[in-house]
Amino acid sequence: MQRRSAARLSPLLLLLLLLLPLAWGAGPWPPRADRELQVSSRLAGQAARVALHYLNYRLGSPSALRALGQVRKATVKPIPGIGHKYYLQFTTEDYKSSQNVGTCLATVLYLKRKPRPAVNINCTYTKDQKQTREDDYSFYKKLRQQTKPITGNDTPDSYGHIEPALEPAWALAVAGSSYLMWEKSTENLGYFMAQVKNVKQWITKDDSIDFDYLVILHEIPTQEMISCHLRVIWTPGHPLKVKYFCLSENQRSESGEGSGTESGSTNGIFNEEEANF
Amino acid sequence: MPPSPSVHPAQLKMKGLLVLAALLAAAFSRESFVGNQVLRIFVADEASVEKVKELEELQELQLDFWRGPGGQDVPIDVRVPFASLQAVKIFLESNGICYSILIDDLQALVDEEQTQMISHHFMPQSVETFNYASYHTLDEIYDFMDLLVAENPDLVSKIQIGNSYEGRPLYVLKFSTGGTKRPAIWIDTGIHSREWITQASGVWFAKKIVDSYGKDSSLTSILDNLDIFLEIITNPDGFAFTHTENRMWRKTRSINSGSTCIGVDPNRNWDAGFGGAGASSNPCSETYHGPYANSELEVKAIVDFVKSHGNIKAFISIHSYSQLLMYPYGYTRTQAADYQELDNIAKAAVAALSSLYGTQYKYGSIITAIYQASGGSIDWTYNQGIKYSFTFELRDTGSYGFLLPANQIISTAEETWLALMTIMEYTRDNPY
Repeated sequence: MQRRSAARLSPLLLLLLLLLPLAWGAGPWPPRADRELQVSSRLAGQAARVALHYLNYRLGSPSALRALGQVRKATVKPIPGIGHKYYLQFTTEDYKSSQNVGTCLATVLYLKRKPRPAVNINCTYTKDQKQTREDDYSFYKKLRQQTKPITGNDTPDSYGHIEPALEPAWALAVAGSSYLMWEKSTENLGYFMAQVKNVKQWITKDDSIDFDYLVILHEIPTQEMISCHLRVIWTPGHPLKVKYFCLSENQRSESGEGSGTESGSTNGIFNEEEANF
Repeated sequence: MPPSPSVHPAQLKMKGLLVLAALLAAAFSRESFVGNQVLRIFVADEASVEKVKELEELQELQLDFWRGPGGQDVPIDVRVPFASLQAVKIFLESNGICYSILIDDLQALVDEEQTQMISHHFMPQSVETFNYASYHTLDEIYDFMDLLVAENPDLVSKIQIGNSYEGRPLYVLKFSTGGTKRPAIWIDTGIHSREWITQASGVWFAKKIVDSYGKDSSLTSILDNLDIFLEIITNPDGFAFTHTENRMWRKTRSINSGSTCIGVDPNRNWDAGFGGAGASSNPCSETYHGPYANSELEVKAIVDFVKSHGNIKAFISIHSYSQLLMYPYGYTRTQAADYQELDNIAKAAVAALSSLYGTQYKYGSIITAIYQASGGSIDWTYNQGIKYSFTFELRDTGSYGFLLPANQIISTAEETWLALMTIMEYTRDNPY
C-alpha cells in the first residue's frame, strides 16, 4: 500500500504555518505560559482524534472521512474551574486509503462538568470537494435504489475484508460512530470503531437513508471492546441524525442522541482570543 | 417417504480415509463411486433383519455393508452401487422395511474430501507454497514451523518452552549457526491474540531469516555471531479462541477463581511494577494483571527460558495497533538509565521502517508514547539487564485496527523487518 512520504509535504506545511497567523491576524503560536506537550504525547493524539470524531460527525460525509495523520503542534492550557483546553495542529489522512488529505487547526476543551468535549476545528482539504460530493451522491443513490434492505455482519470480517456492497453502510457507521465516540471521549479515554457487527437498513418513504447498527468500539487505554446500538439517518447535505445505546462489559449503559445542532464549529468561526493562536 | 439424509461425519471420515487408501493402493483399478448411495436401513424386528441378511447374500448386487446387520434395533448402513439401487429399494419397500438415504452422492463427497485434505489436512508441500499474504490458523502455523525446520535443519530448530493453560505446546524457533549459548535476540508475536498482523508477520520473519542467511551480508553476520529466538504464537489458547469464538479476544484463557470472567492480560502479568497503576485487578477487565506475577503459564515459560538462557541481549515484543516503537518503562515515569541510547536506536529503527513505504511511526518510552502499563514484558526484561528491550505496535492507526486487511500483511512485515534489522545490527555491533 503506497503512502506519500511526510517529508514531501513539509514545504506545504511550512507555508501553511506562515500563512495561518496572517489569516487570523493572530499573535504567535503557542499560547504563552502554558504547558507545551510533546507532539508524540498520547494526550495530544487523543485530543486530535476527538476533534476528528467531531469533524467526521458534523460533515456527515461518508466519502470524506478522516483519520489522524501526525500531530505537528500541541499545547494545553488549564482553565481553572472549567477544564483543560488543547490547541492542536495536525495532518489528516483519508480514513480508508491513508492518503494525506490536509491539515487541521483545532481546539478541544475537556470540561469538568459537561459530558462531552467542546471542539472547534478548521481544516484544509486536498481532495477535490466536488468529487467528494459526487461520491457521496452516488453512495446515496445506490442506497436509495435498494428495494431489498441491506443487511450484513462482521464488517470488516476477521481478515479485514469489507464486502464492496457493504462499503457505504460501513462508511456511514464510521460517521455515526464518530458522534458517539466524540460524546464518550474524555481526556483519558479514547475510542476507535473496531467493527460493524451487524447492519440493517430500513427502507424509508422519504428521501433519507436509515441504518440500524451494532458496532464494536475499542476503548483506550482500558482495551475494552464496547458494543453499541446505533441508528443513523442520513440525507446528504443535512446534519447526520444519530441515536445510540451502549452496553459495556461491566454492564454500564449509556445512550445519547445527536442531530447536528450541538455547539462546536467546523467552519473556522473561532470564539478565540487572537493571542491564543 | 424416507427421512431427509444425514451424514455421520466420524463414520464418513473413517470410511473416506479407508476409501482413499484403497484408491491409492489400487493404482490402476480406479474404483469410481459415481451414482453410489449409502442407505441407512431401520430394522424393527427379527424378520426384517433376516430379510436384509438375504440381501447380503446376493453377491451380484455388490453391496458394501458399512455397518452390517446386527440386532433388531440397530440401523444398518450399506453402500449400494448405482446399478443395484433400484432393485434394493424395491426390495426394502416391498418388505415394509424403512430406510433413509444417508449419502445420496458418494462420489461428490469423496471428491470434496480429497480437495479438503490436499488443501488443509495435508501440510503444504514446502514453505515456498505457503501463503504469506493471508491469515492462518494455529494448526497451519504449527505446520509451517515444522516445514521450515525440515527444510532448513542446519539453521532452524524448534524448542518447546512449556504448555499453555489449555495444554497447547509453546513453541519457539531457534535460528543458529552454532556455538554454545551465543548472545541472542528474542522476538515474540501474538502475545495478545487478537493482534493477528503480529503472528502473520512472525511467520514472514521466520521465512525472511532463512531466505537471507547466506544472501544478505548483514543478517548473515548477525547469525554468525548471535542466535535468534522467535516465538510466533505466544498465546495459543487466545489465538485459537479468536478463530473459533471471538475475534476480539486479547487475554489468555485461564480460569479466574471466584469469577465467571476468563483470562489474564499476559502483558500485565510480568514482574515489573506488577499490580501497580496501569493494570486492572478486575478479572473481567481486558487488562487484568492476574492473581500474581507470572501466574500465566505462557508468561512463566518465557521468564524461565530467559533466566536459564542467561545470554539474551535484545528482547522485542510485537503488538498491534498504533504504529509505535517503544522502550521501557511503562509502569513508571522514571526514565530508564539507558534512555538516550534506546531513544537513538528507536529513532534509527523508525527511520528505516518509514523508508520502505512511508509508514509513519512514533517512538518513545511506553508511558509517554501510549499509556501507563504495569507488569509489561519489556520492563521486566530491561530490569533483568537486557538493555535492548523494545516493543512495537504495528499497523494501522485505527481505521481497521485489529482487523487489518490481509493485503497489508506483507508490506507491514517488510517494513517492520527493516526496523528489526536496525535493532539486531545495533545489538551485534554494540555488545555489553
